Amino acid sequence: MKYKILILIIAVIFSAGVVCSVIVLNMPKKNTVQIKSGGKVLYTFDLGKEKDRTFDVTTADGRNTIEIKDGKIRVKDADCPDKTCVRMGWLRSGAMPIVCLPHDLIIAFTDDDSGVDAIAE
Amino acid sequence: MELKRLARLSMLTAVALIIFAVELQIPNPFPIPGVKLGLANIVTVYAVYRYRAVEVAMLVGVRITLGSLFSGNVMALLYSACGSFLCLLGMLFLKRIIDERHIWIASVFGALLHNTGQMAAALLVTQTPALLLYYPFLVVAGCLAGLFTGLCAQFILPRLKLFEP
Repeated sequence: MKYKILILIIAVIFSAGVVCSVIVLNMPKKNTVQIKSGGKVLYTFDLGKEKDRTFDVTTADGRNTIEIKDGKIRVKDADCPDKTCVRMGWLRSGAMPIVCLPHDLIIAFTDDDSGVDAIAE
Repeated sequence: MELKRLARLSMLTAVALIIFAVELQIPNPFPIPGVKLGLANIVTVYAVYRYRAVEVAMLVGVRITLGSLFSGNVMALLYSACGSFLCLLGMLFLKRIIDERHIWIASVFGALLHNTGQMAAALLVTQTPALLLYYPFLVVAGCLAGLFTGLCAQFILPRLKLFEP
């Protein structure tokens, strides 16, 4: 009896996880992208207007090469040991950010449009 | 602690580290930070059911410290330490409720707690609430990985006499 309840709890948590994952994956994209490190915003882009380019972002912990192409953004290369951020590919979901935990670097869509041009260059 | 116990504990730690090192070489098909099979946790689950709380804590502490040095990913130490700590607390408690024939249930809860600890650490370090959106994926992956490692531990437990304390 005790185990049935525990298994039921697991089943509920698991289903909730699956449902939430599907919801997160289907969130719409936005245009403004922010690159953040340590809670501070390093760059803000309007992907619709950005030219195709590649550049390095260096934090205290390491370097990430960011690529912007056809209004999409990704981490092209990084000197972190696991390269999870590289394998995540282009920023797709409107909600789920690309993160590089070893370097404490986050690339995410944001609603905030203020100061786009000021920081982008 | 008697010498024999200490030796067995170190053996177990070495086994866990070897499993960890081998798993590092397997490419992870899921490009989501924090998602992995965690085969080394088979040893943790085994130890939780066979050794004392302090001893398991020592085993896990040594494993994640050395493991992060082996993998060259010292930042990961913080995340795995938070995850393991929460996971251990939970599993040591669950051990009292769940008997040896249902280890996989305890293991699934352990994996979920591990992911929760990781997530909490990542939120604290990066100060980005958007990371929470990874949590559903971690939960799904944690259930599956915990189920797998738990079943492995369950099959190993009655067969492994060498490491019996």
